[in-house]
Amino acid sequence: MPLDTSTYALAHLRLDGRRWNELRHLHAQISTQASSDGSSYLEQGNTKILCTVSGPQEQRRNAPGGRQQQAGAGSDTEAQIVVEMNLAAFSSTDRKKRARSDKRVQEMQFTIAEAFRGTLFTNLYPHSTITITLHVLSQDGSLLTACLNAATLALVDAGIPMSDYVSAVTVASAPSSDQSLDEVDPLLDLNGLEEQELPFMTVGTTAAGTGEGVEGEAKIMVLVMETKVQMGRLEAMLSVGVDGCRRVRGLLDDVVRTQGRRVMENKIS
Amino acid sequence: MAPYTNIPLSPAELSYLHTSLSQQPPIRPDGRSPTQFRPLIAETDILPSANGSARICFADGTEAVVGVKAEVEKSKTSQALSNNGEVAGQGVLGLGTGSGRDVDDEDMDGEGEERAGKGRDEWLEVAIEIPGMRDDDALPVFLSAMLMEALLADGGLKDRLWINSRFHWRLYIDVCQPYYYTISNSTILLLSQPLSYPLPLLSLTTHLALLATRLPALVSEKDEDPLFNDDWEASTYLYAHTSFQQKPPVTLLVMSVGDTILFDPSKEELAVADSALAISIAQSSTGELRMVALRTVDPPSRLTAAGVPNVLNTTTGATGAQSLSAAEVLAIREKDQGQSVWRPPRGGVRRALVARMIKMVVEKGGVGEEVMAGLGGVEM
Repeated sequence: MPLDTSTYALAHLRLDGRRWNELRHLHAQISTQASSDGSSYLEQGNTKILCTVSGPQEQRRNAPGGRQQQAGAGSDTEAQIVVEMNLAAFSSTDRKKRARSDKRVQEMQFTIAEAFRGTLFTNLYPHSTITITLHVLSQDGSLLTACLNAATLALVDAGIPMSDYVSAVTVASAPSSDQSLDEVDPLLDLNGLEEQELPFMTVGTTAAGTGEGVEGEAKIMVLVMETKVQMGRLEAMLSVGVDGCRRVRGLLDDVVRTQGRRVMENKIS
Repeated sequence: MAPYTNIPLSPAELSYLHTSLSQQPPIRPDGRSPTQFRPLIAETDILPSANGSARICFADGTEAVVGVKAEVEKSKTSQALSNNGEVAGQGVLGLGTGSGRDVDDEDMDGEGEERAGKGRDEWLEVAIEIPGMRDDDALPVFLSAMLMEALLADGGLKDRLWINSRFHWRLYIDVCQPYYYTISNSTILLLSQPLSYPLPLLSLTTHLALLATRLPALVSEKDEDPLFNDDWEASTYLYAHTSFQQKPPVTLLVMSVGDTILFDPSKEELAVADSALAISIAQSSTGELRMVALRTVDPPSRLTAAGVPNVLNTTTGATGAQSLSAAEVLAIREKDQGQSVWRPPRGGVRRALVARMIKMVVEKGGVGEEVMAGLGGVEM
């Protein structure tokens, strides 16, 4: 079976051949749709997310009941952030049409909105709404992670002022045959199979002190864990997660800078 | 008060567009020829978990992603199956099953005769997701019905889903449209007029996705429980890629302005259309194109507001306009017939014009062939 403890202990290689601290292949593009304010496409392994951002724009509709729960509802002093997530019916292995009121989806939407409420300068846009729409084309683990990363890129593309990127990653606790706390590796960036079998958490942070002029410590914006793990393993998982977020932030930053360079070249030539 | 419409063009602009498009040769706002399509980006096999997938992106930013997934399902055994798949009633959409008549698939070898006529309409499900709309709103339902109608019309697709007399493939075609520019969030639509702008985009993307769809290779024989080869490399294409092969249908939107026929109309061009048709075509294995479905579309131009003729316009100093009765005002407008100012089109479309539109699509070297060839050129 996939996470048979003995196989991991033998070669310390996961099913897809990665080691404990290796991220999946991350590929991202920014500004993929010229017609929206901000857009991005992000692939983390087989999880593919398309994100579009519109706003800040005039709050036109009276939010229906469901939206009242969304974060940032203080419309007099700051912009409201609305997140919409569409899981395509073909996104998972079995074809499944999602109902709009899926609780799991609603919770993820709320988490994402809360995370960005902490970094975006929403006080600059009172009485307006920033809408983040996420289309999940394919999911293979780390869904919330990929959504946060894709949304960060799209928000940067939309030009909405923010204090920093929100980069996220998942971390799990590797299975071990004995219950000792030593020699247990936290696994970074899980795929679908691993997520089903192992206790894991999603960590989203803003920049840590990378030494490139970014000062201060990393701030955790998102921390979601729905499974149980031994207390003693938590600290190791968290530190690996924060480090993983830093690496993801570097990758996202590269994407943004490449796009910036491309834009500058088009203007200058 | 004019009915609400989300076409932000004034009567003067509409009249200008209409006049430009009625010229011979027509002058389109973006300078295209009447049969020229806008540039698009198409790619297939973008979804690892779907049997087939495709994505098409138009130059104006609209894009659609289609994923095709297949599941094995137990067939309902009934006496009806022995009558070549015809059930009492006429298939799901009331179109008649019509299968088995025109299917000549040389690529299916001896199975061709076995399968012909065995397909059922309910084995195919098309679902469209448009952000901001519920699944039972008019537009998604209308679009998915139109797409399904075209796919089922020539009977070839559902016949390919037959495995044996007890099992069949159920095909789910899901369309995800990330950005749809004409939907405004504050809709107070007085008429639930579906705007069929995304139809050709969705149809082209569905066509590509179906061409790229692969089904696992069948290993079991005859009527036993189906068993498939685990090796994905051994899978077979739903539409085999040999040189003589039938292709899935494509729906094109064609509009007319006066005597001019235009293909791939943009939003502004549709706002002044006299008529609009959705023509579905299929290519048989001999390469011949055939029209399989035709649907008239009520163009949004009918929702636009008419301009006010100078004679009646008090702001330009027309005297006596206020003293005219309603009947006299109506008479003046009718006499004007939209010549001095814009008037929304009325009435239907001439049969000769419809015939011309169909001919332009279906003839050898016509638009239909160009579109099919273009799609066929996309790498799988």
